[in-house]
Amino acid sequence: MNRYLYDGTADGLLSAIAWILEEEPDPEQVALAERKDTLFEDGFFIGTDATQAEALFFRLRKQAPDAAHTLYSFMLAEKEGMESSLLHFLSLAFIHGDKVNGHLTHPAVRDIVGVSKKAGRELHRLKGLLRFEKLQDGAYLAKMEPDHNIIHPLAYHFSRRLRAQHWFLYDVRRRTAARWNQGSLQFGTIEQFTAPALSADEKKVQALWQAFFKTIAIPDRKNPRLQKSNMPMKYWKYLTEKQGE
Amino acid sequence: MDTLSKLQILSGAARYDASCSSSGSKREGPVCGIGNTSSSGICHSWSDDGRCISLLKILLSNDCRYDCAYCVNRSSTAVERASFTAREVVDLTLDFYRRNYIEGLFLSSAVMVSPDHTMERMVSVAETLRTEEQFGGYIHMKIIPGSSSELVRKAGLYADRISVNIELPSQASLQRLAPQKHKDAILAPMTMIGREIASSVVERKANRHAPRFAPAGQSTQMIIGASPETDFQILRLSQGLYKKMNLKRVYYSAYVPVSNDSRLPVLAGPPLLREHRLYQADWLLRFYGFSAEEILSDDAPNLDESFDPKSAWALRHPEFFPVEINRADYGTLLRVPGIGVTSAKRIIAARRFSAITPEGMKKIGVVMKRAKYFITCSGRSFEKSDRPAALLRQQLLLGASSEPTLSTQLVLPGIFS
Repeated sequence: MNRYLYDGTADGLLSAIAWILEEEPDPEQVALAERKDTLFEDGFFIGTDATQAEALFFRLRKQAPDAAHTLYSFMLAEKEGMESSLLHFLSLAFIHGDKVNGHLTHPAVRDIVGVSKKAGRELHRLKGLLRFEKLQDGAYLAKMEPDHNIIHPLAYHFSRRLRAQHWFLYDVRRRTAARWNQGSLQFGTIEQFTAPALSADEKKVQALWQAFFKTIAIPDRKNPRLQKSNMPMKYWKYLTEKQGE
Repeated sequence: MDTLSKLQILSGAARYDASCSSSGSKREGPVCGIGNTSSSGICHSWSDDGRCISLLKILLSNDCRYDCAYCVNRSSTAVERASFTAREVVDLTLDFYRRNYIEGLFLSSAVMVSPDHTMERMVSVAETLRTEEQFGGYIHMKIIPGSSSELVRKAGLYADRISVNIELPSQASLQRLAPQKHKDAILAPMTMIGREIASSVVERKANRHAPRFAPAGQSTQMIIGASPETDFQILRLSQGLYKKMNLKRVYYSAYVPVSNDSRLPVLAGPPLLREHRLYQADWLLRFYGFSAEEILSDDAPNLDESFDPKSAWALRHPEFFPVEINRADYGTLLRVPGIGVTSAKRIIAARRFSAITPEGMKKIGVVMKRAKYFITCSGRSFEKSDRPAALLRQQLLLGASSEPTLSTQLVLPGIFS
């Protein structure tokens, strides 16, 4: 079995896969891992080529759009140690097309589809659970700590939704931010985050929402277990309606 | 009265409306406004009863002139009354939407003065949101039975979904518990809405700028357990509504005892298990190709409390089983207890590559707890198939391991208290 290494970046991963798919007759017998720079590391290093990575993605999108979507969501998960699975999944995707997503008895397909589903689920969840606060200058800010690196697709979602609004998303753990203002979307990192002042009426609106949240529940049907399974407690930290619980 | 107190009264009064769906409509937001809708719908929170919150669900007013026995807002009860102005509802909706608390507005109302008077005020809220504020989010509006067809038409042009509550499953019960409401006044707007939706779909095929009429369709709701109808009557009614009026959803709302009127049954708590079984049967009607007559009959007119309706059907039809996983078509797979839409689709996708083995079933994520008694994989069965019916019932009920718990839905609070 041949073993290959790449530099640990997303571009490096995809360009290594592109190279292997091109050169290796049976990619399913090949292993791929991140180079750790330890002594006597076993494997042939493949250098990063961003154009190769991009070309691979576009080729996949043309031949198997659903599989390309799986790949996109998988990359949001930033999972380590699954490079070989991804290689095998993509090799199958170029053979079978979109049908590959249904080949769940294959271990590599199951792993990749499973991770990508999880990322997709969190993205959908946060489209609902993200909470903006109005700042003194009239802009809106939402903080979050998602497990997956979903700031890009999430920001795109809100750019279609809150078009006439100036807003920021801030991923607290990754220190990345997105900004939407007058039709343009920008991404960047924030090294030192200082909490900006809230607008004068913000606390009043929050109190209204908290009151609505309490009264909309039917007391005779109280079911905290169901509530927690639909809305895991890890998201409560930034939920306006769950402050002070 | 300040907005906070009004909101508390008027959301508390709206919580018995079951629908909170924000799906079925896809609209790009206006460039200079806010809001769009996505076809899958988005849940924004889950309240303490575990139900999803996706819309700001409120009444415009709870000042009702009707006296329906089952209702918290009936005119003879001594609850605090309040009414919103149109502006207050518009501001609340926008303030909440901008902070991503909600997907849109669900507006209902008690009947003030007259149906037309009420409907006109409700329509003006939607009109302000759509035209003045350029709001592109989701709007669900209740239609007050008895309001003019002109107002219903207007509501349908502004809203994504509109709904008329059927309230109770028969005219007799309606007459007894809600004497001011009439079956015909409820069915007339439903029929008209169904027609308008159908013709708008046709017009939009010819011209994509033609106005959309309630693009997320029409739904309704009825109260379960406040009147003596059987599940069979209820399911046949729903089946008729789906087939003849093309409804998107029928919601069932377990009757929560809110008054001690002698016309109402005395219940220890809301009949949540019955509501749950009705929803399961409703899914069988809409997604599984079952008919009401297959699920229930005049001899057995109520759903079994211990078994889900599909398992109950399977136990009555041993001749249908076992089903061979590697050959059965989609419709047949769907009839296997424990195999739903997702599992059936996964089975079909996976067997394109190779025959599915018993281990493979677990790998693709099919839950075998109930299914294992009813299937074979390439001729191999999971369990002895010649077991007596009584034993099968028992194993289905208790699970193969002798765990004492029945099933999770029985843990719902309120049923045995």
